[in-house]
This record gives sequence, structure tokens and C-alpha cells, in this order.
Amino acid sequence: MKKWVFMWLSLFFSVALADDNVVNVYAWSQEVSPKVVMQFQKDTGIKVNFSTFDSNEALYAKMKASKQTQYDVVEPSSYYISRMARENMIEKLDRSKLSNYGNLNPAFTHPDYDPTGEYSIPWVLGLTGIVVNRKYYPHDKLEKWTDLWSPKYRDSLLLLDDPREVFNIGLLTLGYSPNENNLQHLQQAYQNLVALLPNVRLYNSSSVPSLLIDEDVTIGMAWNADVYKASLQNPNIEFIYPKDKFVIWVDCFVVPTNAPHRENAYRFLNYVLQAKIAAMQVKETFYPTANLAARAYLPPEIANSKILSPSPEVLSQGYFQTDLNDNALDAISRYWQLLKLQ
Amino acid sequence: MRNKFQYFSVGLITTWLCIFGLLSFLVMVVMSFLQHDPDHIALWHFTLQNYEDLFDPIFFKIFIKSFYIAFMVTAACLLLGYPFAYIISRLPERLQNTALLLLLLPFWTSSVVRTYAMMSLLKTKGLLNTALLSLGLIHEPLQILFTNTAVAIGLIYNLLPFMILPIYVNLERFDISLIEAAKDLGAKYTTIFRKVIIPLSIPGIVGGCTLVFLPAMTLFFISDLLGGAKALLLGNLIEDQFLMANNWPRGAATSVLLTVIMAIGLLIYWFKSNKRINYDAAI
Amino acid sequence: MMRPFRSFYLTLIYLFLYIPIGTLIVYSFNNATFSMLWHGFTLNWYRAVLQDSSLWLAVWHSFYLALAATTSALFIGTLAAISLYRYQFRGKNMLQGLLFVIIITPDIVMGIALLILFSLSGLALGFWSLYIAHVTFCIPFVVVIVYSRAKSIDPNIFAAASDLGASELQTFWHIIVPILLPALISGALLCFALSFDDIVISYFVSGPGFEILPIKIFGLARMGVNVELNALCSLLFGLTLILVCLSQWVTRKKKL
Repeated sequence: MKKWVFMWLSLFFSVALADDNVVNVYAWSQEVSPKVVMQFQKDTGIKVNFSTFDSNEALYAKMKASKQTQYDVVEPSSYYISRMARENMIEKLDRSKLSNYGNLNPAFTHPDYDPTGEYSIPWVLGLTGIVVNRKYYPHDKLEKWTDLWSPKYRDSLLLLDDPREVFNIGLLTLGYSPNENNLQHLQQAYQNLVALLPNVRLYNSSSVPSLLIDEDVTIGMAWNADVYKASLQNPNIEFIYPKDKFVIWVDCFVVPTNAPHRENAYRFLNYVLQAKIAAMQVKETFYPTANLAARAYLPPEIANSKILSPSPEVLSQGYFQTDLNDNALDAISRYWQLLKLQ
Repeated sequence: MRNKFQYFSVGLITTWLCIFGLLSFLVMVVMSFLQHDPDHIALWHFTLQNYEDLFDPIFFKIFIKSFYIAFMVTAACLLLGYPFAYIISRLPERLQNTALLLLLLPFWTSSVVRTYAMMSLLKTKGLLNTALLSLGLIHEPLQILFTNTAVAIGLIYNLLPFMILPIYVNLERFDISLIEAAKDLGAKYTTIFRKVIIPLSIPGIVGGCTLVFLPAMTLFFISDLLGGAKALLLGNLIEDQFLMANNWPRGAATSVLLTVIMAIGLLIYWFKSNKRINYDAAI
Repeated sequence: MMRPFRSFYLTLIYLFLYIPIGTLIVYSFNNATFSMLWHGFTLNWYRAVLQDSSLWLAVWHSFYLALAATTSALFIGTLAAISLYRYQFRGKNMLQGLLFVIIITPDIVMGIALLILFSLSGLALGFWSLYIAHVTFCIPFVVVIVYSRAKSIDPNIFAAASDLGASELQTFWHIIVPILLPALISGALLCFALSFDDIVISYFVSGPGFEILPIKIFGLARMGVNVELNALCSLLFGLTLILVCLSQWVTRKKKL
């Protein structure tokens, strides 16, 4: 008996839990393909602790929760980057360790959320539009966000579980810019969204493709890559670029200040900057990439898809999402809670 | 030696529980009186703002909503669970054990697994709709998933045994001769049920209701999965304050309030049952 | 009297309890990714689950955590239960009260209280934060189970042991532990199950480097219904079935 107890205890204390050759990656769910992660582990021998979040707010809260960060690479959306940089949460990247940086599309390397491009590496981009299942709404005229306010869609809309995204449509339908810092306009947008609430069935951003394929929701707002993925399995699904404008977003990799495995973080970043890896990522997840060199490796059906790569005329209707000031962000966060409580 | 053993064992558990039980709770209470600061966890500045917030009409609404759902769930569990507990308490002992084992078996798997199972059952193209459609009972699939009904079903599914067990323990213990006596005195079966059995099982009922009501307000992952991420339960409010809004003081205040509600419920139970709470029931 | 109605009612409740899990198991063998219609038998999803290394890492983490938490909670809880049974000491009622309060505290309250404590004290969220949380919520259950068994020990046995010259430690190892063994086993099984299944507390105190199974499953379930998850959940249910049968068998043996 005694022997057993001691064996048990020694097992407990002897198993080494600490594994130093790792990199802790915290990214949007579905935006980093497991295949890419696996390939990286195989090629470099570095173990990836990969975890995911569903919203920038969750990422931000998790990073604020502990003084010493445990993440080596995180993937916020563009508009959180200036905030994180301002609060010293992320570090300036050492470009000399990123030999593949040149593969990026120069159009995305000097954005206004990070004018010098020294904090962030653009990873995936996307557009937010209207999705509809034509089996259920064969003849509905759906061209604008405002059409979603129609009482016939009572209790049926899917909204993204993301405060900025939802406020974007609240602002756009009033004719304001989605990058609005004006608190009064935000309040109007909130009132506008309250009027939309009777139509809202659910908030979700992490399982949109399967919800669409299974027809658990048939109309709402969604990201173009998710809709493309769903339309491959359910041909009734259609994506619409709203005429009252839409938002283009970019999600970027950054390295937190005092990341515990900094060197491995750089190896990971440089690895995913490779054209072939970026292309593999697109083929798995369908999110358009900011990696220009990757285009050469993409199959034509992805490269020419109307959903994934809209024509320049359509694109010109899009707003690039930018940072808001703290007051505006706090207002959105407060209004968002109120929306969800109702 | 005796003292050494005693000091060591009592000291160990007391230290552990005081740090991780008592102290953490006190820290939470302190946190609930601090000021919210978006850049840090909290500002070291005393305020009652967090509690005032909770009584703001909009936040208060979630209390009402959560109470309402928890109440309905408790009522449903009682209606479903009482007859079940009664029937198995009257079975022969061998069958009783099997019946209980069958009841508890699904509950040894993770509640997330069970909630997920419920999710795939209630989907538009799930088994429930497929079955009802092919039986011709409905012509359009029912849209249950992502409604309050789905959350309630998920909660009932997860909490039913917590209602059944205390009632069963109570019914199983009581003296069958009381029923015989009532019968001999010519009472009808319904009268016996109303006048003898129900009053005697009140402690079990109250215990079961406590065990169902509290979790029904807090199991946030059920409403996350089945309710379409609308904040329905107090648990969602707490979760959001910590993991989304980054407003820890308000989240702490909500938890303190929840604890107070729990304490009140417990006091009621104490007075009703007039004896120590059955530990087994809590398990 | 009312027999058919009774069995009908029992069947109905059991159906309610088992249909969701049954569906899950049946469809984990379905040869289709999204449809609920039957497309033929396949073991592909199980193969996919078996090959998913990140999943098995989470299983291993959960297993390791449950083992560590169970061992420690068993150690602390058993010693406490024996002291509670054998000795009178100041603060005994307070200790019992504290144990009781921890049992009935809603999980979410304990989770966030510990989260606040950990983040103020600078303890990184990961294995140790989970370990502390799990030991804390397991201890009271061990105490309750062991204490109720200890009550059946004849106190004279201690006097006899010390008359025969046994030290306190010898009494502990050679008398108390063997008598309490069934309670220790059922306490350990309960702790293991509680720790292995816990979601609410773990959700708040887990960190990136140490992902455990329930959190992983929650993450996957948030991404929607999928067949691989069906297979994983069916496997877990099977595992539970085996464990419960094992514990039944142990308790049966105890009765003989």
C-alpha cells in the first residue's frame, strides 16, 4: 500500500510538464488551418500550443488578465493593433528575422492602423456582406443592409457575434462611416440596431459555415470566406455585397511584449509568410490572403471566385476598417452588452 | 505524535481552504467594490457603482429573465422528476438500484457533451425535426435551436437528476406504514398522496429545487451553445464581464449578488428541513 | 395498481435522457459529413479522431490533471476526515462549515474568485492554476465520503492498537487505511470524474499552454455540429460506461 502511494507521488512529480521548444499561438477560430500548424511542427520540430478565440474583445480581455503574457503570437483584427501598440502590449517586429516579409502585398503593409507596418503582419482579409439561402427566400430583393430591417425576417437573422461588425451595419445604414468616432452617431446606430433586434435569431461568428449548410439560419450577415465554404456544400447559398457599402477587415499577427518564446514566434511568423504555406492556408480555409506571392499557387476556382475576389468596382464600395478612439470603443462595448441583454 | 498528526492534517486542509476558498472569495468581494479601469484589472478606489449598475433597469432585466428561466426549469424538473422519484422509490430494491444507475449513467459524461448532443438533436435538420416531418406531424421544421425553449430544454436535461435524487432519498426513507394506516382509515389514493406523501416529502422537494434553481441561473455554456449567444442567464452576464467587456469589478459584484441569493435559498432550506443538509444529495 | 402507466412514464423519462446520446452514437457511424439521413456505415470519423494529435494531447492533459488533483485531494481530504472523526479541536465546526460552503458554491463563483486571486498574485494560468482549482473543489467530496465511512470504525480499535505499542503512523497505515479503502476508492473515482468533466471552473482558470478536454470540446461545439465531435463524444461516453461499471463492481465486492 505504502509503496503504491510513493510510486504514485513520484510519478506525479517526475513527469516533466515543461516543454521549452514550443510556441503559443492564439488566433481567430478557423483562420489558421490545422494543416499549416501540423506542417510547421513537422518542419521545425517546434510544438505549437494552438488556441482560438471568437472575438477581439475576448483576446484583449485574456491578454489583460495576466501581467506576464503567455502568448507568443496573437492575431487581432486591424483596429485592435493601434490600441495594443499604444498600451505597450505588443512589440515592434524585428524585420531582419522575417526574410519572407517581401511576399506580402505592399497595399497592406502600410495601413493606417500601423502606418510603418512595424507591429503587424497582415494574415487574412475578408469582407462582410449579406448571406441568403435562396431556397427559403427565392425572390426577395436583398441589395442593401437596410433590407434586413424588414419585418418579414422576424426571428431569422444571423448576426456576427462581434460588436464592431454589428455596429458597422448600424452606422452604414444611417449613411455614416463605419470608422465613426462621433459618440452621437454611435448612439443613433445603437437605436437603429435596437430596431433590428426583433429580427435577430442568433449571434455567431465561429460556426457560420455549418449553420448555413444545415440551414439552421437562412439569412443574415456573414464573412465572404464562410459563405464561400458553405456554398460549396449548399448551392442555394448566395453572398451579396450590400449597395449601401460594406467593410473590409484585415486580421494580423503580432508578437506580445515579453513573449516567453520570442525566437520561436519569429520562426513561426517567417514560416507562414512563405508563399506556399500561405496558399495552403487559403486552400484550407478560403480566407483571402495578404500574401501576394501566394496567388501563383492558388487554383483558379478560388482565385476567380466572385465571392472571394470581387471586381474592383465592387471593392471600391468597401471601407477599410480602422481604429477608433478609446471613448468610441468603450461606447460600442457598452451598447453591445445592452443589445445582447435585450 | 498524536498532536503532530492532528496538527499536520488539520493545518494542511485549513491552510488550503483558507487560501483558495476563503481568501479568493474575500478578494472577489473586495474587487466588487473597486472602480472599473479599462487598462488595468481595477482601480484601487472604493465605489458602490458596480452594485448600482446591476440595479439599472437594463441590467436588472437579465436578473428577471434569468429568474424566470430558472423558475420554469425548476418547475418542469419538479413536475417531471417527482413522479419519477416516487415510482422508483416504490420499486423492489434491486430494481431501484438499476433504475438509479440508469438515471445517473449519462451524467457521468461531461455536461458539454450532453449539451452538444441536445444541440444536434434540436437542429433544423436534426433527428427531432426529421422524425416529426416523416411522421407527418409537422410540415415545416420547428425552429427550436437558438431560442429560449432550447436553453430551457438543455437546462432540464442537465439538471433533472439533481431534482430526482433528493426527492427519491426522501421518499425512500419514509415509513410505508403511514400509507397503510391511511388506507385502513379509508382514505382514497389521491387523498393519501395529497395529505400524506407530498407533505412528508417537502424537504426533498425544497432540496431538489435549490439544487436545480441555482445552476439554472449560471450554466452559461448551455445558453452559449443552445441560445445563440444572447445573454440569457446571470452566468452569461458574469462570463461577459470577465472574458469580453473586461469589467472585472462588475462581474465580481454580480457573483457576490448571486452568492447572496444562494445564501437566502439555503437559509430557507435550513428552516424547512430543520436538519443538516444531505451531503449525498449535493453530489 | 397503475403498473402500465408507471413503466410507461419511466420509459418516457429514460428516452428523454438517452435519445440525445444515442443519436450522437448512431450518427458517429454515419457516412456523411452534414446530413442526418443515413448514408451507410463508416469508421472514418473514429479514425480521424484517433489521428488528431492535438485532441490526444488534450486528453492526456485532462487525464494527468485529474490524476494529480485526485491524488492530492485524496491525501488532504482523507487526513482531514480522519482528524475530524478522531479529535475534537477548536474551529472544527468552522472547518466543516467551510467544506459545506465550498460544495454548494456555484461553480461560476468559485471559478471567477480563483481567477481574480491568480491574476492578482501573478500566477500564470495553466497547469498549476487548474490543479489548485480542481483540488479545491474535490477536497470537500473526499472528506464527506471518507468521513461517513470512518464513522463506522469502532473507536476501541485505536486504544487496542496503542496498547499493543503501535505508533500513530503505524495505526494510520495498518488499521485506518485498510478499513477506509472502499471509501478511498469511491472518493478517488468521484474526484477523477469531477475533475475530468469540469467545464465551468476550468473555463475561467485555464491558459494557453495547457488545454484540457472539456474546454477543447466546448470550443469544437461552438464551431457547430460535426461528425468528428460525434465520434469523440461517443468514445467518451463509452469510457464513462466502463468506469462506472468498474466502480459498481468495486462497491459490489465491498458488500460481499
